[in-house]
Amino acid sequence: MSSPGFSRANASCCRPDQVPKVTLHRDGQAYEGEVAENTNLVVKAGIRQFPFPHLRYGCGMGKCGKCACHVLKGAEQLPEPGWKEKKRLGSGLDEGYRLICQLWINHDIELEQGEIPGEPLTPAIA
Amino acid sequence: MPDLMNHVEFRTALENAIKGKSANKAPFSIAWASGKLNRAHLGKWAENHYHYVGPFADYLAYIYARMPERYTEAKDFLLANMYEEEIGGDRHTDLLIRFAEACGTTRARVIDPDNMTATTRGLQSWCYAVAMREDPIVAVAGLVVGLESQVPSIYRKQTPTLREKYKFTDEEVEFFDLHIVSDEIHGERGYQIVLEHANTVELQQRCLKICEIGAQMRLLYTTALYWDYVAKDIPISEIENVEPRVQQGERQLLQA
Repeated sequence: MSSPGFSRANASCCRPDQVPKVTLHRDGQAYEGEVAENTNLVVKAGIRQFPFPHLRYGCGMGKCGKCACHVLKGAEQLPEPGWKEKKRLGSGLDEGYRLICQLWINHDIELEQGEIPGEPLTPAIA
Repeated sequence: MPDLMNHVEFRTALENAIKGKSANKAPFSIAWASGKLNRAHLGKWAENHYHYVGPFADYLAYIYARMPERYTEAKDFLLANMYEEEIGGDRHTDLLIRFAEACGTTRARVIDPDNMTATTRGLQSWCYAVAMREDPIVAVAGLVVGLESQVPSIYRKQTPTLREKYKFTDEEVEFFDLHIVSDEIHGERGYQIVLEHANTVELQQRCLKICEIGAQMRLLYTTALYWDYVAKDIPISEIENVEPRVQQGERQLLQA
């Protein structure tokens, strides 16, 4: 069994030989940037690089849910949700939400960050 | 007298200062990564590790108090780091205790300082001494760059093994997962602060020296765990089969 942190999606999609492109929608604005492969966007924001200061995040440990985003494009390239995402997001996963602190990005992705999901969106999965 | 380094040169020098004494090379770490330890060994690790990382917010608090007021960003970083260790989500030491309990030991044993080795006590004391006495930028170099920034690479190597070879559950090893994210942030921010504020030759050289010592202290601590708890069960020759240079590296350390 692997954790979300170690489940790297394989090849970058859409733009071979190019680094992943990230688009983040928040508060009616779209922010775009490129990141290295295997990038955790919360780590990047934490060290004051794109998507800082636009990405909201908190504990970095899959608990607070502040980093949750609706994945608009590129969801199919992401690894399966780990236990923390299942516990925190519940049915929000089916609605297309993911916890960004639990993901390492290897491909183009488009995200939208709105309100912090409730805790959890459905009863926690045991 | 060396020249003042630019940020790129200084960063490389810091990385090299740490690299030579990485705790990944300790026999305990090699035995861990190769699946040779048992849960009792890992429980002993947890009983010791608690006393090294448990006071991390305390170490940072001493640095915070002595960090010049004008270094606002550095102070904010230290405060955020303290917050994240203790109350940002789950208290990190609680997750360490959860792992310890899965290894078969107890919360009471973990928090009891009588259960750490003299070497662990030495590492903890060194951390306190650095935090209280060193120039605060040098202290950030020692504790955050020299020690904390090593954690992601160590746990990246050790955590899959905990699941696959030692059969721990995801929840039992959460302590290790969270450090891969949070310590990457903390380590990198530590680098940024040191690169910006170590702006004299003397400060740069002191930062390099303390990184080297910090990595050496952690290697010493991890090496002692092997000799105190594991050597009786797994001879060093068996570890050497996995990593031939262990014994030589250890001898160098003990002679240092």
